[in-house]
Amino acid sequence: MNIKETAALPKTYKRLKFLIVDDFESFRMSVKQMLRSFGVEHIDVSGNGKDAVQKCTFERYDIVLCDHNMGEGQTGQQVIEELRFHKRLKHTSLFILVTAETSKEVVIGTKECQPDGYIAKPITKAVLQKRMDALILQRQALLPINKELDLENYPKAITLCTQEINKGSRYKSWCHKTLAHLYYQTGDYQHAQKIYDDILNRREIAWARLGLGKVQMAQQQYPEAIQHFKRLIEDNKDCVEAYDHLSEAYEKIGKRKEAQTILQQATSISPLAVPRQKHLGELCTTNQDLEGAISAYKATVKYCNNSVHDSADNYLNLGRVLSDSSEGGDTEKSKEYAEEAINVLDKVAKKFSSNSVKANACLIETRVHQGQNNDEASKASFAIADSLIDEASIDPKTGIEFAKTLYSISDTERAEQVLHALAQRFENDKSILSSIEELLDEPVGLRQKMKARELNKKGISFFEEGQFTHAINTFKDALKEAPKHPALNLNLVQVALKSFENTTPDKGDIKQLEQYLDNVRHIPSQHRQHKRLVSLTKKVTALSQSENAN
Amino acid sequence: MTEDPLKPDFSMVMASSVHDMKNSLSMLLHSLELISDELPEEMKKSGKVATLQYEAERVNNDLIQLLGVYRLENDKLSVHIDEHYIRDFLEEQAARYEVLLSSRSIALSIECEDDLIGYFDRDMTAGIINNTLTNAARYTRDKITLKAYHDGHNTVFEITDNGTGYPAAMCNAPGKIFKGIDFETGSTSLGLYFAYQVARLHKQGDQVGSIELENGGDLGGGVFRISLP
Repeated sequence: MNIKETAALPKTYKRLKFLIVDDFESFRMSVKQMLRSFGVEHIDVSGNGKDAVQKCTFERYDIVLCDHNMGEGQTGQQVIEELRFHKRLKHTSLFILVTAETSKEVVIGTKECQPDGYIAKPITKAVLQKRMDALILQRQALLPINKELDLENYPKAITLCTQEINKGSRYKSWCHKTLAHLYYQTGDYQHAQKIYDDILNRREIAWARLGLGKVQMAQQQYPEAIQHFKRLIEDNKDCVEAYDHLSEAYEKIGKRKEAQTILQQATSISPLAVPRQKHLGELCTTNQDLEGAISAYKATVKYCNNSVHDSADNYLNLGRVLSDSSEGGDTEKSKEYAEEAINVLDKVAKKFSSNSVKANACLIETRVHQGQNNDEASKASFAIADSLIDEASIDPKTGIEFAKTLYSISDTERAEQVLHALAQRFENDKSILSSIEELLDEPVGLRQKMKARELNKKGISFFEEGQFTHAINTFKDALKEAPKHPALNLNLVQVALKSFENTTPDKGDIKQLEQYLDNVRHIPSQHRQHKRLVSLTKKVTALSQSENAN
Repeated sequence: MTEDPLKPDFSMVMASSVHDMKNSLSMLLHSLELISDELPEEMKKSGKVATLQYEAERVNNDLIQLLGVYRLENDKLSVHIDEHYIRDFLEEQAARYEVLLSSRSIALSIECEDDLIGYFDRDMTAGIINNTLTNAARYTRDKITLKAYHDGHNTVFEITDNGTGYPAAMCNAPGKIFKGIDFETGSTSLGLYFAYQVARLHKQGDQVGSIELENGGDLGGGVFRISLP
């Protein structure tokens, strides 16, 4: 440490505002005394994370010293996450995490959640002073850059970083890291990549490898990005951010199974992160892994307490996937899922007083009861939901939930009305339209969908082997699960037509084919099966005419 | 997920106990500092306060090693390699031993360039250096040097003293074999075993960290050297 700079430190300490956060009063007192002896005048203390966050709302602290493991309440890492999330911590402030041991309990999270420094317990005066001196000198040196970062004046920050590097600064490594990130943020990927490449040419450094991968992701170079993230994980098994990006890259190239596996590894390293668990739940649902989805959504509900991620969606997602799992069975397991679903949904309706949450919860409950053949309870839940819903102004998510429930209680007409109205109101929103379309395609539960899909596959392979009768019967079985499914109905028509090459169809056969085609009439002209519908309709019509001619 | 709630995970029990003990140690060390400020000069010099501090540091080092070796056995120990200013790092370690060493009239000097940068796991390396310092404080005559430099791609830390040096048997492949506990000397050789393992976790390309023990050096006593790529 430079002697001249160190000499000016007592004056600096005097100006700085400190906050000490620890659940032990004696510990707070002892650190407070140490700081006083360094010349600090403004010191506040806090006994838990919640209080600390509140204090940071009303006061701008320069330095926060926060214990990681604070018993029941928030962890230090959750505190920093919340502060950064609400932008209550400036770049110019320092957040220092006090830990008993850093190796395992604090897993390196995303850049946003990383503290500016760690101090390991036990803390003695001499050690605290050395560490604080070093951190404060660094803070002073980098203050101009961090001020620009707070103002989001990135071009200026870039200039200052470059100047600091050219000066041969002691903190040039911090500057390189910040500079590359700034280039990345401002979309100047070439410059960002050059910094990362230069650093990696000299030495393997995790943040540079991660940065390089992210730059390539941003330029849609997914296979290259995947290589970087894989290598990073090989060297640093605990680097959860690398897993997150790797999973995202797999998703981008359509490898959803791999994406799920990688994200599952990340959640086992760092189970507390709610957004990751939520995303895993969504992935599992798309991959039709109900067990996986249940486990992920359960984690979101378990860990969202005390965190900025506490939202009704966590509970509703869990309720939804439990409801799907409970469907179509009177096994013990199915009953268990149903009970669990009701518990979660009751809880969310109580916890969040909004009408929309209550309506969603009741809609899902309706389906759960329906699945357990409990008509009375199902009707009761639906009545509550119906009273809370105003169809004309319904939000799209609730609307889709509403339609799904209407299908399940066999009110197909009203379900289609709801969906058509929604489609009109949100005709420009692609993602809403595709959810609507999906529901119109297969207005059945997930379990039935999965069964129908499996039978469809089987039917296709029978067809390919030339076993038409088997194929037809299998498709018919599938239609029992998903009667309006376009591809299924059309497959069935196609196989039937093929089988008529050998046998002559009678009137009844043709009537049946027309029925299958009618099952699919609800699809709009943009639908991917629409062309096939038109061409098969022509063939069936031709067949029917030739039959009449006979 | 579906773990038996009645059957605690031993690693968790260990981590939370260590956390608790470290809190206690923090309080103990801090009270000691406060008490020693109030003591009359002759008592400060008597070395009793220093002994208390020394033993508390030893307990702390043992805790770190205990948890570290446990995790090593379970393949859960991983290093977090980051860039550090070595001089700051060494000054911080030296600060821990200030009171103890001055009470024993041992002079500790640091030899390191001001802006020397190294890549290593801060806490684990600190644990190793502290453990060596505790050891050196016991066996040196009146001098200890804490030295750091770059040797090719390696960052080297050296702790040398002017005591009688290490027993010859120890200098041969230190830390590679866990020799068990010698109840007569209280030496567990756990410290060296841990240091060896931590060094090996530091990798860069095909280079791996290593430790060495020898006698002689600048001060004529024991030399402990850890090289990290």
